[in-house]
Amino acid sequence: MLPRIRRAFERSLETITLALMASLVLVVVVGVVFRKAGTSLVWYDEVASILLAWLTYYGAALAALKRSHIGFPKLIETVSPKLRRVLTLLRDVGVIGFFALTAWAGWRVLLVLEGSYLVSLPWAPSRLTQSVIPLGAALFIAAELLKAVEISTPPASPRGGVERP
Amino acid sequence: MILLLIFLGLLALVLIDVPIAVALGIVAVAALGITSGVEALPNVALVLFDGATKFPLIAIPLFILAGAIMNASGISGRLIAFASALFGFVRGGLAMVTIGTSLFFAEISGSAVADVAALGSILIPAMRRKGYPTAFAAAVTSSASTLAVIIPPSIPMILYAVMSGSSVIELFVAGIIPGVLGGLLMMVVAYVVSVRHNFPVEEVFELRRVGTTFKEAGWALLLPVIILGGIFGGWVTATEGAGLAVVAAIVIGGLIYRGLDGGRLRAAMTEAGAQTAIVMLLVATSALLGDYLTVAQVPQQVAQGIIGLTDDRLLILALLNVFFLVIGLFLHSAAAIILVVPIVMPLVHAVGIDPVHFGLVVTLNLGIGQQTPPVASVLVTACSIAKADIWEVSKANLPFIAVLLAMLLMVTYIPAIPMSLVNLFYR
Repeated sequence: MLPRIRRAFERSLETITLALMASLVLVVVVGVVFRKAGTSLVWYDEVASILLAWLTYYGAALAALKRSHIGFPKLIETVSPKLRRVLTLLRDVGVIGFFALTAWAGWRVLLVLEGSYLVSLPWAPSRLTQSVIPLGAALFIAAELLKAVEISTPPASPRGGVERP
Repeated sequence: MILLLIFLGLLALVLIDVPIAVALGIVAVAALGITSGVEALPNVALVLFDGATKFPLIAIPLFILAGAIMNASGISGRLIAFASALFGFVRGGLAMVTIGTSLFFAEISGSAVADVAALGSILIPAMRRKGYPTAFAAAVTSSASTLAVIIPPSIPMILYAVMSGSSVIELFVAGIIPGVLGGLLMMVVAYVVSVRHNFPVEEVFELRRVGTTFKEAGWALLLPVIILGGIFGGWVTATEGAGLAVVAAIVIGGLIYRGLDGGRLRAAMTEAGAQTAIVMLLVATSALLGDYLTVAQVPQQVAQGIIGLTDDRLLILALLNVFFLVIGLFLHSAAAIILVVPIVMPLVHAVGIDPVHFGLVVTLNLGIGQQTPPVASVLVTACSIAKADIWEVSKANLPFIAVLLAMLLMVTYIPAIPMSLVNLFYR
């Protein structure tokens, strides 16, 4: 069950990341073409910047699921298993606590932003663009939890519990 | 005192494997909460959003993507074949090929981690098969990849330009001579080590083979000309040049070399997206801590503290070098630039150091930081590809780090090395 959830979660994050990256390239290229044609797009800078922020936080959840964020695991790998469990728990509490606080802060900002719209696209609510902070933080927490469970669960052994060589 | 507490908190978190980006965020939130109270915490969300929306930073995902597409379409193999035809006849030929290819690849990707991942996966096993010690193979690939942050385009230079208000194009131009000089010096060191250990010669020099491999890699070699020519010629901005690089990479890798199908393009884009997020999360959380330090007036205090010690420009440059080398041991280059550059810029302006010249000094310092544990993203990537012990590789890496340190001294105290092209074309 857990591997299926993890795979589905990973695929969803990959699809979002891919779509955001493709959109960013498209917006920049279209922006250059229009600028060179002498009709600069007014929304180009603002939309591209927002896409970068979205790519940052949705992509960060994907990187968290793959444990790709830059860290220093060497020390924790060298200590005794008991101490490692304690330090890993501390690590997880720290990471999840930070993103829980970020999600809360992001939610508070969304409440304040009601009725506010983008400068260059007056029909686009600022809440939509800022929603990436609470959503991205929640996805980061989900990725951390999934990874933590995956690491702490021994791999399922094939054919009735026989260990693979 | 507050700086010391922040540093110790950061160190403790990093040592228990909290990702550096998150560790920066945790200490920033703790400092903010203690000094301004809980009511200040919703600002965290605003700063994290603003930190990731600076327009010039859009060049970062695009340069990373261009490098990923070129790698996915088999460009690395063509560049290696060309470098092999050019430098393979020298003793320690594969080490020369590694440095030579890094010089080419650096002009496309802008990221040393992308460089080491793309080239290391091919060249480290190849060197091992030819009898080179694994530690040496990993060390030469790792250090050569650092050229990617000195030679334009460069992600650390883009970040520095944003934080210092300098021209990114002038920074790119300032990196050309130090980058090429660094590559050549590394080749000399690799040659000396190779002669001492009797590493093999790769192949005899054949002009015909140089011609054939040049033809095969011709389009790939044209890519830096398109990107950098467009930027330096003023035809496109750095961000637009990065977009151009992606389009050119898709055209050359997909349509001309036919090395790119839908699956590879998707994988390259997803990977580049995740790589971007890793760097940008560092940028955003560093901005959070940076904001706190600015409000606490730390930049002014540091500037006054150092000027109180000395107002000698050369001595201040030496102090800043030591400061950045130490910072580079513990922080990723993106975080270090966002955090430290605003702190030291008042000092840099006060003693009359050219911000572009200083940008090269910072970039080189942090490039060395990528090679020095505990936090050494490029070295760690090379070790992971080579499956080698980080301390063994670090030992083999010492001569190459010495080259980077020599480069740092030259760039610091002979400003003409980075600045002559800038002065010639832009001043």
